[in-house]
Amino acid sequence: MLEIRDLHVKVEGEEREILKGLSLKIPKGEVHAIMGPNGSGKSTLAYVLVGRDGYEVTKGDILWNGESVLEMEPEERAAKGIFLAFQYPIEIPGVAGLTFMRSALNAVRKTRGEAELTTPEFMKLIKEKAHKLNIDMEMLKRPVNVGFSGGEKKRSEILQMEVLEPSLCVMDETDSGLDIDALRIVAEGVNAMRSKDRAMLVITHYQRLLNHIVPDRVHVLADGRIRKSGGANLALELEKSGYAEFQEEAA
Amino acid sequence: MEGRLPIGVGSEALNDLSRSAESRAPARQDVALGRRAMNVAVLKTKVEQALTENFAAVEDQFPGGAEARKVRDAAIGRFGALGLPNRRVEAWKYTDLRNALKEVLPLSTGDKAPVTGSDVSAALGPLAGIDAQQVVFVNGAYCEDLSTIGSGSAVDVRSLAEALSLPEATALLSAEGRDDDPVLALNAAYATDGAVVHIADEAKLDKPLLLLFVRAGTEPCFTVARNVVSIGKGADVTLIEAFVTLPGASQGGQENAATKISVGDGASVAHVKCTIDALNGTHLANWLVDLGAHATYNGFQFTSGCKLLRNQIGVAFKGENAQIDISGTFLVRGSQHVDTTLVVDHAVPHGTSRELFKGVLEDQGRGVFQGKVIVQPGAQKTDGMQMVRVLMLSPDAEFDSKPELEIYADDVVCGHGSTSAELDEDLLFYCRSRGIPKAQARALLIESFIGEAIEKVERDDVREALAELARQWLAECGSTKRT
Ligand SMILES: Nc1ncnc2c1ncn2[C@@H]1O[C@H](COP(=O)(O)OP(=O)(O)O)[C@@H](O)[C@H]1O
Ligand SMILES: [Mg+2]
Repeated sequence: MLEIRDLHVKVEGEEREILKGLSLKIPKGEVHAIMGPNGSGKSTLAYVLVGRDGYEVTKGDILWNGESVLEMEPEERAAKGIFLAFQYPIEIPGVAGLTFMRSALNAVRKTRGEAELTTPEFMKLIKEKAHKLNIDMEMLKRPVNVGFSGGEKKRSEILQMEVLEPSLCVMDETDSGLDIDALRIVAEGVNAMRSKDRAMLVITHYQRLLNHIVPDRVHVLADGRIRKSGGANLALELEKSGYAEFQEEAA
Repeated sequence: MEGRLPIGVGSEALNDLSRSAESRAPARQDVALGRRAMNVAVLKTKVEQALTENFAAVEDQFPGGAEARKVRDAAIGRFGALGLPNRRVEAWKYTDLRNALKEVLPLSTGDKAPVTGSDVSAALGPLAGIDAQQVVFVNGAYCEDLSTIGSGSAVDVRSLAEALSLPEATALLSAEGRDDDPVLALNAAYATDGAVVHIADEAKLDKPLLLLFVRAGTEPCFTVARNVVSIGKGADVTLIEAFVTLPGASQGGQENAATKISVGDGASVAHVKCTIDALNGTHLANWLVDLGAHATYNGFQFTSGCKLLRNQIGVAFKGENAQIDISGTFLVRGSQHVDTTLVVDHAVPHGTSRELFKGVLEDQGRGVFQGKVIVQPGAQKTDGMQMVRVLMLSPDAEFDSKPELEIYADDVVCGHGSTSAELDEDLLFYCRSRGIPKAQARALLIESFIGEAIEKVERDDVREALAELARQWLAECGSTKRT
């Protein structure tokens, strides 16, 4: 279970708080969605979960399986099964996608006490998963994300997620940049990963993705806090009413 | 312009024989001072004195007859007049040799310490995997037992010591218009051995020719190697020079190496230099390359050794439509100092030159890159591009770069660039968020950074060996960092 308790976060060196007492619980086996207006702190939450530098937690805690992650290095969190599909995936010139994924997979397997995959085993795994996500193997021989279209980057993030098989999947605006076919393919991939041993958090600005990945719970993040929570229907309501209600309150 | 342009000392500095260390006067005043100093006793450092005196003491032991002896005498005379270059000499301003050299080690004329093939393989590391014809020198002397070169019609290899007994001896030691370079002068004076290679016209060599310079023994010594290579018209060869240290041998030592190479019309040459030896040693080297028409020359220098190292490269386009790529990577850590000084002289039209150097500077490591591209009057349609990129892994590292274009023709395309940057934190974070530990993520990113240069090496076996050397270096860095 992911448990976020009264989380307060600001950017290092700045006064203004971005998250102002956010609390949230996602039990394993469930998919939750966080929706909210631009600038409400959704990506900040995602980054703090995976331990990106530059943010300061001034109060509160994040527990994954009962253990606080705040003092853990990013790679330790990854080893504990935490994964973020980035809103803006980063380009790594000079490092081929296959090399990168193999390094990551072997590192993660090592911490799980599993043997490294042989080259044929690894290639078989990648080919299978890439095929399902409609990703060309040639693309994976190129440097990670370099020269990829927006949609290709998002699919490559989901491929990494499928290969690494994390137990906490956080997806930040994975739908942006995807056309309707790609959206369907990605959603199928995500749905296939739903499992009783896995918690998932889908962050999105629009309801569109949630037609395909139907969440167990939907939370509205505005002004640094969860302002409202409900079932999948809440997303549909928001689609009609927009975020005005929450933004007015915030103002 | 006579002959090759000086890599070494500027003409004004040539006359700078004054030895007042505190003098910060501009060059023009130095000339006056120098002239005056000529009339009084010239102050020499102990090391300069020792280099001249030691020469006299061992002169009888050098290979070669009376002709060669004359050339050596002239060379040591030049050195005596020039002295060791210091930071007030423009071309040496970042590498003050006079200040850095505190002693002269005893000259090695080769020792008979038994070195086996497996010793050599161990010292070569990943390079041992390259299936090559080997010419091996141990502590400055040709070692026939370890060399696998057969005499055929396509390739003729003999040791410099042997070749110097032949009539062309003087040419083998000549500086060819580079009289003003004290390092080259020392090389000509002191050269004990080296490879003299002739590649026949149209010869296509499948296997690379590996000139291997091995440092053995626990006593650090001074070794001087000189290679003279002529490559026939239309030939196709890969020439590798490797400078290595046997496991357990002294990590000190002083080395002066020069390779003169003339590339025939239409020949295609890959020339790789790999210096991975003597971590506490000094290595001063020259490549002097002449290119015929339509020649292709791909040079690559991999450096991850030595306390103080300077690689000087001089390339002269002698025939039209030749193209070169000179690239390399330097991996510097501890308090090492690695200097690459390059002069590309487009003397004729339609030449193409590319240079890409990538450096990684760790700890208090210091990197120097001086790259000069000259386009002589009339060398129209020259196409030159030079780039050096350095990754600074430590706040205490230092990089000095001096790219220069001297263009005297109007219809040319030339450019250069130089960047230094730290490792990108966002990239590092992205890797770590995928579970790759920090040290490994750093290594992965650095490897990919260097990779852009190493990619230039066309032969798979050589490229892979160099990439593996880089990985080993990175792993060693990582292991000392993880404290
Ligand atoms: N590294 C940062 N430096 C400065 N401001 C930041 C940084 N990260 C986020 N912010 C600010 O915090 C607020 C929330 O941003 P973000 O978490 O990206 O929102 P969302 O993902 O919901 O659009 C915005 O006002 C944004 O400008
Ligand atoms: Mg965002």
